[in-house]
Amino acid sequence: MLKYSDLDWKLISSALALSLIGVLMIMSAQYHADSEFAQHYYQRQLIWLAIAIVVFAVVVHLPLRLFDVTAYLLYGVMLAALVAVLFVGSTRMGASRWFSFGPINLAPSDLAKLTLVFALARFFAYTKLGAASKRRLALSFMLTVVPMALILKQPDLGTSLVFPVILLALWFWSGLSLLHLFLIISPLVSLLAASHWLAWAVYFVVLLSILFLLRPGMLFGVSAVVTNLASGIVTPFLWNRLAEYQKLRILSFLDPGLDPRGAGYQIIQSKIAIGSGGVLGKGLLEGSQTRLDFLPERHTDFVFSVIGEELGLWGAMIVITLFTYLLYRAIRIAARCRSRFASYVVFGASSIFLLQLLVNVGMTLGVMPVTGLALPFISYGGTSLVLSWTIVALIVSADYHWQEY
Amino acid sequence: MNKLILTTTQKEKVALALIAAVIIFLVAGLVKLQIVDHPQLAAQSENNRIRVVPITPRRGVVYDRENRRLIDNRPSYTVSVVLAEMVPDETLANVAELLGLDTLEIRRRIRKNLVNRYQPTPVKRDAAFEIIAVLEEQSFRFPGVTYQIEQVRRYPENMSSETFTGYVGEVSSEDLGRHSYPELRLGSMIGKKGLERYYDSHLRGQEGTACIEVTATGQILGQYEDRLEVSAVPGADLILTIDLDLQQACSDVLDTFCCGTIVAADPRTGEILAMTSYPSYDANIFSSVIPDSVWQDISSDSSHPLLNRPLKGLYPPGSTVKFVTVGAALEEGLVTASSTLQPCLGGYKFGNRVFHCWRPDGHGWLNAVHSIEQSCNIYMYQLGLKLGVDLLSRYYGHCGFGRATGIDLPGEEVGLNPNSTYYDQRFGPNKWTRALVMNNSIGQGEVLVTVLQLVQFVNGIINDGVVYRPHIVKNIVDANGEETTIAPEVSFRLPFTPSTLDVLCEGLRLVVEGEHGTARSLQTDQYTVGGKTGTAQNPHGENHSWFVGVAPLENPEIVVCALVENAGHGSEVAVPVVGEIIKSYMQKRLDTTDLAAASIGDKD
Repeated sequence: MLKYSDLDWKLISSALALSLIGVLMIMSAQYHADSEFAQHYYQRQLIWLAIAIVVFAVVVHLPLRLFDVTAYLLYGVMLAALVAVLFVGSTRMGASRWFSFGPINLAPSDLAKLTLVFALARFFAYTKLGAASKRRLALSFMLTVVPMALILKQPDLGTSLVFPVILLALWFWSGLSLLHLFLIISPLVSLLAASHWLAWAVYFVVLLSILFLLRPGMLFGVSAVVTNLASGIVTPFLWNRLAEYQKLRILSFLDPGLDPRGAGYQIIQSKIAIGSGGVLGKGLLEGSQTRLDFLPERHTDFVFSVIGEELGLWGAMIVITLFTYLLYRAIRIAARCRSRFASYVVFGASSIFLLQLLVNVGMTLGVMPVTGLALPFISYGGTSLVLSWTIVALIVSADYHWQEY
Repeated sequence: MNKLILTTTQKEKVALALIAAVIIFLVAGLVKLQIVDHPQLAAQSENNRIRVVPITPRRGVVYDRENRRLIDNRPSYTVSVVLAEMVPDETLANVAELLGLDTLEIRRRIRKNLVNRYQPTPVKRDAAFEIIAVLEEQSFRFPGVTYQIEQVRRYPENMSSETFTGYVGEVSSEDLGRHSYPELRLGSMIGKKGLERYYDSHLRGQEGTACIEVTATGQILGQYEDRLEVSAVPGADLILTIDLDLQQACSDVLDTFCCGTIVAADPRTGEILAMTSYPSYDANIFSSVIPDSVWQDISSDSSHPLLNRPLKGLYPPGSTVKFVTVGAALEEGLVTASSTLQPCLGGYKFGNRVFHCWRPDGHGWLNAVHSIEQSCNIYMYQLGLKLGVDLLSRYYGHCGFGRATGIDLPGEEVGLNPNSTYYDQRFGPNKWTRALVMNNSIGQGEVLVTVLQLVQFVNGIINDGVVYRPHIVKNIVDANGEETTIAPEVSFRLPFTPSTLDVLCEGLRLVVEGEHGTARSLQTDQYTVGGKTGTAQNPHGENHSWFVGVAPLENPEIVVCALVENAGHGSEVAVPVVGEIIKSYMQKRLDTTDLAAASIGDKD
């Protein structure tokens, strides 16, 4: 029988604190909204929080072995769901991301993140292949890229970004050296560096010197150089193949003033909201940017802007501190777990939190592109909240059973 | 390679370091926005939610000299689009259909007037009530479309008065760039022509501002209390020197001809009593956005309705300026009032060319006065040759030709007063003959004048040589009711002594009353009239017909000048036109004197 007093209550309380701040901020964000429906977003979020806590309580009781054993099965179900949603999902704003069950919209892509963590954790935990083995890298890559491709098809660029990050995190945690990781992601760096020939040339010199100093092996080295060259050359073509709005989004991320009415609008408004909050904030329900509808998506993707405006630097710092603490504890737990599967699950899941924190907050601050990734615990949305609490349950459970192999 | 594989503790440290890096990155971003950029962003946040709305003041009303309304304002509906609230593909298509415009046109108008996304951008001024009714009833079909009630200028119709009224229009971005109008913004209305432009700063008043709180979708939450509203100051009213009845008479009488212009002025003050140009257009069309087709019609019309003939029309003055020639000769002592020169036999041989008189069988012996009365060319040729090009030109200049009259309206043309320098430039030094002066002496050749200059000149002749600056505004009444009267202002004096002026006035009288006068048809028992006919040869077609008339002769109150384009002899066309105007003026004057006399009689 589970001994509740031995659960990591510090971690649970920080998650709860974040969730409650979320409800409060959603309420504030839509307090002055025109529609009755929007005004009651926070009530629905409260109900979702209750559901999430129930899910948490259930998951915490389940042995992690259950997910270990069923990891591939869950992964298969998830793939099926991702395929299905493309055909039968309800379409909103041009994207088929949700299954609608009456008032409840379920986004399988959210759950896909977790099932990928399970599948990868299981794969890395039991494979006999060496950390840098090409088969190991290729198989795990395949596991990741299939759901990612399906999600890109929806299309949901933001969520699909999470998948390679989980993979990279687990590659690292399962023993792949930093050098290998760098070489693996180097073509991406190349892709960015190639936007200007000088940057690319400098980057290439750096890449070659690292290869020369560390000598990772002939094949690895050569393929790294080739892929880097290829991606560098392909960049301009890739850029030209992007849709106008995608280009605009990337450009307006670099310079929001470029398109103040469209893609840059949200970034500008969000920066104004957060910046005008100052150190102390304008006070709860007092955010003029928020209240006067200048801030779009303020209860979902841009909820952090409301926090920045109304609670100021202090409020934002409290939120970031809670996340830091939560992540810190999660990493500690991942390092302590004796079960490799549990350790990988905790680390992989934590990477989801970290990425979403970075991208979402960074986006509201105007230092990251607008991708539509939710802020865990805080952004409005049932699936996201339930997923976050499920991860908390998994971490807490791993911690509780840390000594089990 | 093995040294590269990290222990769990090392991996933990790397992971924590990565988390720390992310957190530091985010906190740095927060500090930058919330501490470093805070003042600037806080100000922006204010500007965002407080919409500063301009309050357009009432534009000043314009009255005629008897306080009858000439230009006033009427309420109208302006359909505007708020970009921030527009639904792409839907709004524009629907509003285009409603307004009967195509979407490109609407986009063009939005671009032209856009101040910012949150402010209504006018796309159709003076929309019909039916359109507003549809907007109100089916507002769901027109997201982002609003309307305002605006004041629109109303100009007199069928009076061809836009020669002086001009019109107002939306200020263009070029206007804003050229002049410093801190008080203007795109979409504001400013005077574009005529007195609307000349007196724009008086008429416009001062725009006020209201601060309202708005949402991003433009929903108005109400007045913003923290900032005071600055109320608008209505524009000043103008009282013109124009007499509405006379203006109407001028407009009516011209109606039967193709093209022409009439100017009537009071010689004692320089006040313009009527000023009209025909054909004309309706200034009201500029009150709303002019459809391109209408504009095309007007601007491509071969009769040039857009030409402001009294101010900008340049014509050879013909015989009307024989006063200058005779006056100059008298002043220079070349002739006396009774001097006779070689008799007019219908032609005058100069060099190997014969210059003709308008009367083929000639006028015979004439003195100075009778040369004016009968408008004899031969007499003038001889005077012109005695004077020479430059002396004649100097007299033309002193009589106000070749320079602006300084009327309080924009865009006046100065005409052309040729002298030897001009001819040297045009034909080359010494490559022109003295015969050119003969043409100039009868108002032909290169001399070009405006009707206004001629009126001013005749004003001077009958006003003892004193020329008042022509003006059209009598009083400016500002918003506080304070009145500024525009006093008559002496512009210059004619270069003639009283005795010369007497001769010229006598000539003026004989043109109507003389035995051989060219305008004898104007003789009447009720009042005395003087004048001078003119027939200006027009290289492009039929002669222009001139007449400038004065009444009553013994104490002149009105000078009327008519020019009818391509109409033939002055005595046949322009004379009866001016006669009508003078009749109308004198009739009204007699009526009012009768009335005054009657009321005095009542008192007794």
